[in-house]
Amino acid sequence: METYDAVGENNFNPSSYHGNHTKQHATWSPYDNNGGTVMAVAGEDYVICAADTRMSTGYSIMTRQYTKVDEMSPKTLMASAGFMADAATLKKLLKGRCDQYQFANNKPIGCVAFAQMLSNTLYMRRFFPYYAFNIVAGLDAEGKGAVFTYDAVGSYERTNYSCQGSGQQLIMPVLDNQLKTVSPLVLPAVSSATPLSEEEAIDLIKDCFATAGERDIYTGDAVELFVMNKDGIRKETMPLKTD
Amino acid sequence: MTSLNLDFSVLDRPVRKEADELTSTLENDVLCGINTHDQYFTIPRVEDFSRFQKDVVEHVKPQHGTTTLGFIFEHGIIIAVDSRASQGPYISSQTVKKVIEINPFLLGTMAGGAADCQFWQRNLGIQCRLHELETGKRITVTGASKLLANTLYGYRGRGLSMGTMVAGWDTTGPGLFYVDSDGTRLKGKRFSVGSGSLFAYGVLDQGFRHDLSIKEAAELGRRAIYHATFRDAFSGGTVSVYHVGPDGWTKMSGTDVGELHYEYYPADAVENPERHGGGEGDIFVPKKREHEQNREDGEKKKDSSPEAMET
Amino acid sequence: MDSQFAFVGSNFVVVCADTTSVQQIIVQKSDEDKILQLDKTKLFALSGPKGDVSNFGEFVKCNLNLYRLKNGRSLSTSAAAHWTRNELAKALRSGPYQVNGLFAGYDDQSGPELYFLDYLATMHKVNSSGHGYGGMFSLSLFDKHWVPNMSRAQSLELVKKCVAEIQERLVVAPEKFLIKIVSEKGVEQMTMVTATGEITSGGPSSAMPSSSAAVDVEMKA
Repeated sequence: METYDAVGENNFNPSSYHGNHTKQHATWSPYDNNGGTVMAVAGEDYVICAADTRMSTGYSIMTRQYTKVDEMSPKTLMASAGFMADAATLKKLLKGRCDQYQFANNKPIGCVAFAQMLSNTLYMRRFFPYYAFNIVAGLDAEGKGAVFTYDAVGSYERTNYSCQGSGQQLIMPVLDNQLKTVSPLVLPAVSSATPLSEEEAIDLIKDCFATAGERDIYTGDAVELFVMNKDGIRKETMPLKTD
Repeated sequence: MTSLNLDFSVLDRPVRKEADELTSTLENDVLCGINTHDQYFTIPRVEDFSRFQKDVVEHVKPQHGTTTLGFIFEHGIIIAVDSRASQGPYISSQTVKKVIEINPFLLGTMAGGAADCQFWQRNLGIQCRLHELETGKRITVTGASKLLANTLYGYRGRGLSMGTMVAGWDTTGPGLFYVDSDGTRLKGKRFSVGSGSLFAYGVLDQGFRHDLSIKEAAELGRRAIYHATFRDAFSGGTVSVYHVGPDGWTKMSGTDVGELHYEYYPADAVENPERHGGGEGDIFVPKKREHEQNREDGEKKKDSSPEAMET
Repeated sequence: MDSQFAFVGSNFVVVCADTTSVQQIIVQKSDEDKILQLDKTKLFALSGPKGDVSNFGEFVKCNLNLYRLKNGRSLSTSAAAHWTRNELAKALRSGPYQVNGLFAGYDDQSGPELYFLDYLATMHKVNSSGHGYGGMFSLSLFDKHWVPNMSRAQSLELVKKCVAEIQERLVVAPEKFLIKIVSEKGVEQMTMVTATGEITSGGPSSAMPSSSAAVDVEMKA
């Protein structure tokens, strides 16, 4: 990342700052990449959201137990990779919004509405983006699994499976190979649900993380799977290699 | 007694928002809704805004790359698009919906930044609906495209990247406008936008006649996009074709490029028939390619040096 | 790049502009009207980024119209041009409009008048002028051939000379030129095909070449 002058608090005066700034400040950037891989797979009546638990900066590991998946509402899971400070700020903001929704409507926010809200929230920072790559997973109004995948400035799409973060380029081709169905844009429309059962999907996700860990320095330590179905949310953890 | 209510806002100089006015607090982020196009964007406190934007693009790699086209003919308008999104060389999606259905009579197409297009066309949908509620009439295509152009002109120089077409049917008949993020707005009968537009124009301009039937026109649109996906690496996926007529729009077709390929590419049908997928068989087993054969008989090798490009 | 030029004749002003709209290497449109008619006897030819051109053009047009509605009479050419220059000057310090213009008009007091304007808010009353590369080719032709009180026929000959020179020397000569003549009677429109020098009356879209009889591509139904 390039460097910037005079980046500071909201009440900072850039003009007075400019006079005596030092080289140390000139190399400052508002972003870092903490790595990590997140993914989600949706089925007919379930959805699984998973992420590894490693958090790194540069070549050093800061922690091996960082949970990247959060329950935003009873029907919505959200996982973020990228810059964890931005991701944490974003999730804090969104959780606040979910509470407000609950107070205003006396019911928890659904995952489709949440997905649109996340898109708008990301776009509000179009000129100073949250450097976070997000996946939203949940069950829609009909109880079907839904996965929403985003870019950093809020473009989003509903899919059946997705992977983001440092292992994206390793895992996505595997998912395409195993799970790709007819595009929803094709006419006449063909049903495009993921053909796997819940157990098969869990195995596939575990395999994906184990393999990505072999080739990506930012993926490892453990993978946490959040499985959501009509009975609620259950969490599984599988250790990964720590090297 | 009725009062005459005229909107004189067109006479005001366009407002250029200063960084300070756009800066918001966390509280603002929580509370603000979508008020037409008055948005509260967080602006970075940097001295060189343009340079920061360039670096941000490097960092977050928004989704890009497209071919879209639209044309007016005797029986309405055809809109055709591909469905690929890429972030640098990585294909981030093959199933992007690049035709945005603003209302049953209006379509928008997206090329450029996916988030910019999605957000502002949704915003345009809101503005159009509000117009309907205020006046009791559907907005004209001229009006809708002007709303979008005005919005984008207000954000000129801030690094938005959009090339869109607004197409629809109103009291004056079919309408097609090109609108982009520098504030350009052009009325026209035939446009193609995006990285593959040059290839699409080639097929489109040659095949266009005003008196095409709807079926022929839809086929022309699909074929033009197919040829763009063939030559432009940033275009691909599924070709979607829409028709706009007096009763609104309908989706005519959605076809995977992989299938279109076998329909459209019998360029060397006689020389190399097995290129079509091997006749009756399900599995396509290619015969040895030319350079592999050359290697075996070692004879013809002299006219192809290692640097020579093979086609 | 836009090509436009204009000059004053006996009791009229001739304004010419190309009709192409180009993005990078693509001709997006070849029947665009770049000469805005502000009121019955005023023309404003604009060049620059298309967003700025249409926004500033409409801003000027609407405000002159508002003045007419409020006061029951139009501004003179000179007053309108000066007001326009002042708006450009104000915009210059707050993110300028990148527009260059030729402001032409006729009024009973001062007859035909032409003003040169650029984006830095320079303004000068001139007898002939041009903007863009095409305009530069015509400047020397005006120096050589322009005389006061030219007739209509003489003026069209001079337009032909300019267009012929642009066709000969400009690397990408535009396909067509739109000619507008503003006089006491109002505005008259003509279109000139660059390659042949042929002039037909009417706007750019009415003189579309009959290329729509294009060859049929081989298509599967």
